[in-house]
Order: sequence, then structure tokens, then C-alpha cells
Amino acid sequence: MSKFDRRTFLRTTGAAAAGALLPLSAPPLIRSARAAGTVKLGCLFSSSGTMANLEGRMNFVAKMAAEEINAAGGVNGSTIEVVTSDPASDWPLYAQIGRQMLSETKVAALFGCWTSVSRKSVLPVVEQNNGLLFYPLHFEGDENSKNVVYVNSPPASSVLPAVDYLMSPDGVEAKRFFMVGSDYVWPRTINKQLKGYWKTKGIEESAWKEEYVPFSFSNFQTIVNQIRAFADAPGGKLVVVLTVVGSSIPDFMREFANQGISSSDVPVLGLDMVEADLEGLDTQKLVGHLNCWAYLQQAKGEANQKFLKSWSDYVGRTKAPFRPDVAIDPMVSTYDAVHLWALAAKKAGSFDVPEVQKAFAGLSFDCPSGYKIGMTAENNYVSRGVFIGSVNDSQGFDVLWQSEDTPKPVPMSPYG
Amino acid sequence: MWWRALFAGLFGAILTCGAAAAAFDRAAIASQICGGAAGMTDAANAMLAGLVDATTDDARWAAALSGAAIDRSLKCGPQDPAIVAPEGAVNAATLSPVEGSVGTSPLLSLKNRPLFETVRAAATLRSGAAVNDRGAALTALERRAGSLRPEFFEKAAEAETDAGLRSRILAVGQAALLNSPDMSKRIAAIERIAATPDRRSLTRIEALKSDPAYQTDPGFRMAVDGGVASIGRWLSVSNALNVFYNGLSIASILFMASAGLAIIFGLMGVINLAQGEFIMIGAYVAYAVQEALRAVAPGLIDWYLIAAIPVVFLATAGIGVALEATIVRRLYTRPLMTLLATWAVSLLLVNLMRVTVGTQNLQFVTPWYISGGRLLMGDFIVTWNRLFAIVFAGLTLGLTWFVLKRTPLGLNIRAVTQNRAMAGCVGVATRRVDMMAFGLGSGLAGLAGLALCPIYNVNPQMGSNFIVDSFMVVVLGGVGTLAGTAFAALGVGQINVLIEPLYGAVAAKVIVLLMIIAFLQWRPEGLYAVKGRRK
Repeated sequence: MSKFDRRTFLRTTGAAAAGALLPLSAPPLIRSARAAGTVKLGCLFSSSGTMANLEGRMNFVAKMAAEEINAAGGVNGSTIEVVTSDPASDWPLYAQIGRQMLSETKVAALFGCWTSVSRKSVLPVVEQNNGLLFYPLHFEGDENSKNVVYVNSPPASSVLPAVDYLMSPDGVEAKRFFMVGSDYVWPRTINKQLKGYWKTKGIEESAWKEEYVPFSFSNFQTIVNQIRAFADAPGGKLVVVLTVVGSSIPDFMREFANQGISSSDVPVLGLDMVEADLEGLDTQKLVGHLNCWAYLQQAKGEANQKFLKSWSDYVGRTKAPFRPDVAIDPMVSTYDAVHLWALAAKKAGSFDVPEVQKAFAGLSFDCPSGYKIGMTAENNYVSRGVFIGSVNDSQGFDVLWQSEDTPKPVPMSPYG
Repeated sequence: MWWRALFAGLFGAILTCGAAAAAFDRAAIASQICGGAAGMTDAANAMLAGLVDATTDDARWAAALSGAAIDRSLKCGPQDPAIVAPEGAVNAATLSPVEGSVGTSPLLSLKNRPLFETVRAAATLRSGAAVNDRGAALTALERRAGSLRPEFFEKAAEAETDAGLRSRILAVGQAALLNSPDMSKRIAAIERIAATPDRRSLTRIEALKSDPAYQTDPGFRMAVDGGVASIGRWLSVSNALNVFYNGLSIASILFMASAGLAIIFGLMGVINLAQGEFIMIGAYVAYAVQEALRAVAPGLIDWYLIAAIPVVFLATAGIGVALEATIVRRLYTRPLMTLLATWAVSLLLVNLMRVTVGTQNLQFVTPWYISGGRLLMGDFIVTWNRLFAIVFAGLTLGLTWFVLKRTPLGLNIRAVTQNRAMAGCVGVATRRVDMMAFGLGSGLAGLAGLALCPIYNVNPQMGSNFIVDSFMVVVLGGVGTLAGTAFAALGVGQINVLIEPLYGAVAAKVIVLLMIIAFLQWRPEGLYAVKGRRK
């Protein structure tokens, strides 16, 4: 494909939309203002489409982190400028905009992607252009590119500890599992690894069921009926491992509660469930369901209080259209990512990708989660803490369990 | 059988334990409850064991303490454990007022939550002041009857003053006697369990087939086999009802989403890609009504869904009329241009909402009449929010049919869409009729948004999920007939639900689309073709 030309794109889109509607119907793909003595960081987070509500807030977090660093004197004498974009929840568009940001806008690093399918589409672009992508979501692992910094945890240090907890006497001694996921790479890989893991634990294949639904699926009655039937069958306690994404999460939880299943009957472990998914739901009936992340808003410690305060101040100041009192793991991971990049650039004394890459080894940062997160020379993974959250009646998560330390990330799963 | 022996041993252990703890050691339990997850388990078990012989006062205390643990008003700190209520803090062991309690509220672990729920229900059954409270507690206990000792129910029935509730308690108690040494009690328990024919009962009774008595006692075997057969019959009925209800619910959503399009595309022939956004606007107007009620009459906020019906219809119809008058009217002869123009309008509306309201899901109050569901029989659950959508769709179908077939406006709309020139010749103001029809179609889409807000997430993008489905339904039903749209929605809904458990939701979507393509190859005019000449 030839180089993407912004002007032609605007012209064709503009022809489709009536001319007068242009500024709203076709927002410019990349918003940027040029200034001297600055270093640019690019954001690949959608502010439209199914991921808008979740990804949109990260643009603001990245800007907030950059402001913090600039206020402390910037990096290597330059101030950071954050360039945002809107890939519109359209996976190939992430790659297109990523390419444009690397080769034309000349950003020093990219921060972005929520779904694994978008990361997979950006991956060849950052590898070809030798760029850097900071990926702030916990994900399925089994990938180890020198051009991607995996700021969040692979399954071995997020999902497996949570499943272990559920299977332990402290949890519910879960014996059987119902996996519901959106039909794409992340749920399928996670479930494959989980099945491999359970096999090593001697759990029979008849003890689990697997269902996949299309993106933005919402008619969960049939699946919840199946879960009820499976829960009442003999064989021990059932747990639902939920890997649907986006708007399917609240839709599933609503149907689950309406059919009268509570967390004491069948607990749901929502791997992608965050506070934002509970907005607009009556969480009285959902109390006790679980999620697992590397950060929860209720995390103890000074760093978290400071982060929460800066976010609510930032929202108040910039009128960002997100709740000032809700902080989710990917926000914190994005915040960590910008700081990690700045620390590496400072250590390297340069913005060149190879120099910055070399500086990753031995970096550490006081994450708002209360853990000291760090990187090693082995790979581009960041070691994070593990939290298991439990839904409370005010649309948030309480910390049910958290790890002693930051487990060493294992990029390639032995169970897949 | 080893597990029988184990059970007998456990049973004995609980018995002795219960006899020793005739009255609660309140202070000990209150301190246990603050001793981490393991302590909480011990405390709950101690309360469960003690509840059999507990006095009403003891049971009231156990209800208060377990309730406080569940709703997290229990405080564990350096002082004695306390329960914090709006009226003031009380000591967890004595329930006497204390001054200023500090500390954290322990979080119930997954394992402890059901334990504490059982304790609360059992204690409320013994001590609840109102019959309704005790009845609700018994309902909560029904599914966990096995975790309580049978004597508990006997004692509770003795103390119960309400005759109706007493017989219910005895019935639940019967089910707990499944492992009683007395064979007649066991058979009564089987019959009692088979009376609630769900899958859980089936599992419990089927497990008895491995019981030694199944081989030796013909009466027992007959009871087990009879129970399994009767539950199996009811289960197949309830499964069929579930499938039907789920299909009806999908159909109602499809119909609501495509009813407006059936008029705008079906009757007028306008390809309106902004139809989904009218659905979205309908939901946003419903939200505005909710917020207005919250400000003006907070007592009526539960009724916003009803109050919003006229407002939503008029607002979206108004926007529809404005769209028709400004854009669509000029493009009637150019379908491609209409398609592009309405697409632009749809982008405009989505982005307008994004900029003005934001991308987050709107927070809707869930009124009591659409929250939860009811287990009707076996495993068949009717969920109120889906029932609301089904009833709403039925009413919309009826009213729209009435408007089109029984009113002068409907007559005019049909006349204009069948033969515009001739209708004009006999004095029908065709331009005005176009506008009204477009308004009606948009208003219906708005109502769809209202009906969907208890089911879906309301955000600026919600409309785009519906546009493809609604075109599909309208084309399948036959362009130009409302009945066709309704039948197509029913068909697609039911087929979807039938395929989904077999091949999964992704394949169901593909198979339904393939079936529609095949059907339209065979019958391009759709299910219902309009008789007579068209344009």
C-alpha cells in the first residue's frame, strides 16, 4: 500500500458527508500543534466506536502524565507533546494511523490499543519502522516483540493467580468452569491456556464449557440459560470466566442478575471488567462478582491517592467527558507507560528508539497500585502486582485479594 | 458406602457441637468474625449450629450480626467489634450503644458470602417481626435447605404463629430429610423435591440412584424413578418455554428497531441510514425525561419509562419531520443521494451526542417493574425487562396497524405510496403526507430506543448496531407490509435462538444470514408481497 494521504482521505469522506457537516462527521485523524523544542508521543486510542467509552479516557491520562513530567522540567531539555488520534474502533485503522504517526508526525513512542486484535494490527508497523508501542492492557501473552513494551500482565501473572484463588479453599473450591468470550484472539488464547492449565491440575474436559459471541453481542438469554443448566448439573462449584469485551460486559451482567443468579450461586470472573462497565447498572444484585487486574481504585497507598487526585483535578480543569472519580487499570498502566518511557529516555539521554530500548533494563517506578513495578533486560515486559476485585454495591470494586509481590512476568505460556 | 459413613460422622459432630452451644457465646463469635476469612467462616458455622436451639433474642442478634457482615456495616478495629448504623454505633456482641467506633469493614470472601446469607435468612426466619420478612427468609433458605439440620425447621415451625407459613416451613423441612434414616421420610423428601421440577432437583434425585437403598428397597426405587421422570417431563416443557420466550424477546427487539423503517423504507421507499440514530435519540430523550422527573417530581421517577412515551415520540417525530423537510424531500428521486445524505446525518447525530453528552453509557434508574424476573416453572424464568419490551412491541404493532388501516392519515399514506400521481390527482396533499409518514416512522424508531433502554447500554453508538438488522428484517418481511415485518422478526428471533445452543452465537448469526439470502433468492419479494401494481 502506498503512503496514506490525509488530504485525499478528508476529501473523499467530505464528499460522502455533506460539506457543511465536515468538522463533526469527519474529525481530523490526528490532532497536533507544532512547537519547537518538543518531543512528540502518539496515542492510539479510539474516541468513537464500541471502544470509545473505555479507550477515550486514556488520551487524557497520557496528556496528564505528560503535563506532570513537563512541570518537573521535561525530558532531556524537551517538553513532551501528546498527539492524539481517533482510530474509531476500526482495527486496521490503528495500523494506518500508527504508521502515519511514526513516519510523518515522527513521534518518539506510541501508546495505545485496548483489544489484542488492534495490537496485532499495529505490531508489523512498529516492527518495520522500528518504533515503540506501549501497550497498557493485560492480555493473552505469547508475544515478545522488542518494539512493544507490555506494560500490563500476561495470563501467568494475572488470570492464573485469580483462577488459582477460585480453586483454592479460600475461594470457592471451583471444580467446573463456563467460559464466555467475544470471538477474537484474546478470549480464545486465554481460554486455550486455561484449559491447558486445568488439564495439568487433573480436571476433566467435561468440567468446562466454552461459548463465543460476536463483538457487541447483547442477547445473552440463551447463554445465561445454559449457564444455569450447567450450574445445576452435578460435579461441584461452577465459575464463569467472562472474556467478552466492550458493551457486551454490562449486557451479560444485567441478564445474569435478572435471571436471579447471584455471586453466591455462580461467581463471575470478568477478566476485562472495569468500573466503567458497571456504569448504568444496578450493582446491588451483582455484589461479589470478581475481576482481576494489576490495579484497582481501592489500592492502598500514597501513590494512589496522588494519582486519583491529579486525575480528578485534570478532569475538572480540562472538562474531559469522563468521570473524575473513576480510575481503571489501563489508565494507570498508560500513566505508568508514559513515566517509564520518560525515565528510559532520561537514562539514555536520547529519544532514539534503540537507545531508549537499551535503557529499559533495571527501570523501576512507583506505580499508583502501591507496587514498585520494574523491567529487566530479559524482555519488554513490566512486572506488576495482582489484584482480585469484588463488585460492591456502589459500582466499584473492593480488593478481595492482592499478591505479596510483583510476580515475574512469563511471556510464553507453557499451557497453550 | 464411605460417603454415607462420612455423612453420619459429620452429622453426629454437628449434633454434639449444637448441643454444647445451646446459647450463643456472643462475645466469642463477635471476636471470631473480626479474625479474617477463616474466623468469619468459624463464626458463621457457630451461628448456624446454635440457631437450632436459639431463643428469639439470640436469633435476632445473629440476624443483626450476619446482616452487618453482608452490608459491611460491621467495623473491626482496636476496640470491640461494632455495628455502625445511621442511628449510631452498637457493640457487636451486646448490641448496646458505643461511642465512636473506628476500624475497617471486613470483606466477605466468596466462600463466606453464601454462609452468611444462610445465617441471616435462618435467623430472620426465627426472629423476623413481620410475616413477610419470615416468608422472604424461608424463600432464601429453600435452595440451601440441605445446609441446615432438619430439627431447625421443626423448631421454626413450632414457633411460627402464621399457619400458612408454618406449613411452608414444614414442607421445606421435609426436603432436608433426604438422608434421614426413616425410609418414609426419605420418600416424602423425594416427592417434595420433585415438586419443584428444576435441574437442581434432578441432580439431587439422580444422585440417589447410587444409594444402596435404590437396589434393596422397591418403594424407594419407585419414588426415585418417578421423581426423575416427572422432573424430566417438566424440564422439557420449561426448556421449550425458555426457547420460545427468548425468541420472542429477540423478535420484539428486532421488530421495534425495524417498525419505523418498515414505514420509511417499506412504504415510502426512502433508504434512511439515520434510522438507528433515531433509536439512539429516543433513548436519550427518555434519559432527559428521567432527569427532568428527578428534578421536578422525584417520587415519580420510577414511572419515567411511561411518562417518556409521548415525549419521545413527539421529539423524534419532530426531528424526523425536520429531516424530511430539509434534506430527504429534495432527494426523493435520487435514492443514492438519499443514502449518502442520511448517512451523513447519522454521523452528525452520533458525533453531536458524543460532543455534547459524552461517550459513556447513560445511567438509567431501573424501576421495580423491570428489575429481576420470576421463576414460573422448572427452569423457565420470565425477566421483566424483556417482558416489558415484548409487551411494548405488541402495543406498538397494534397501534401502528390501527393508524395505517383505520385512520384518514393511514389511508392517505397508503394511497400516496401506492400511486403518488393518482393520489395527488384526487386531492391528497402528497408532500404533507410524505412528511407525516416520515415523522411517524421516526417516532416509532424513537419509541424503540425507549423500549430498549432497560435492555441495552445507551451510548452514542448504540444505533449502528440496529441498522443492518432492521433493513434485513424489513426486506425479509416484504417491502411495504407491517405484518411482514412482524413475522420476519418473529422468524429470525426464533431461528436464532434455536441455532444458538447448537452451534454458538457467532455461527447462529452467519446461518441466519445465509438462510435469509437463500430465502430471498427463492422469493425476492419477501414473506409478504403487496398485491397490485407498485409505482
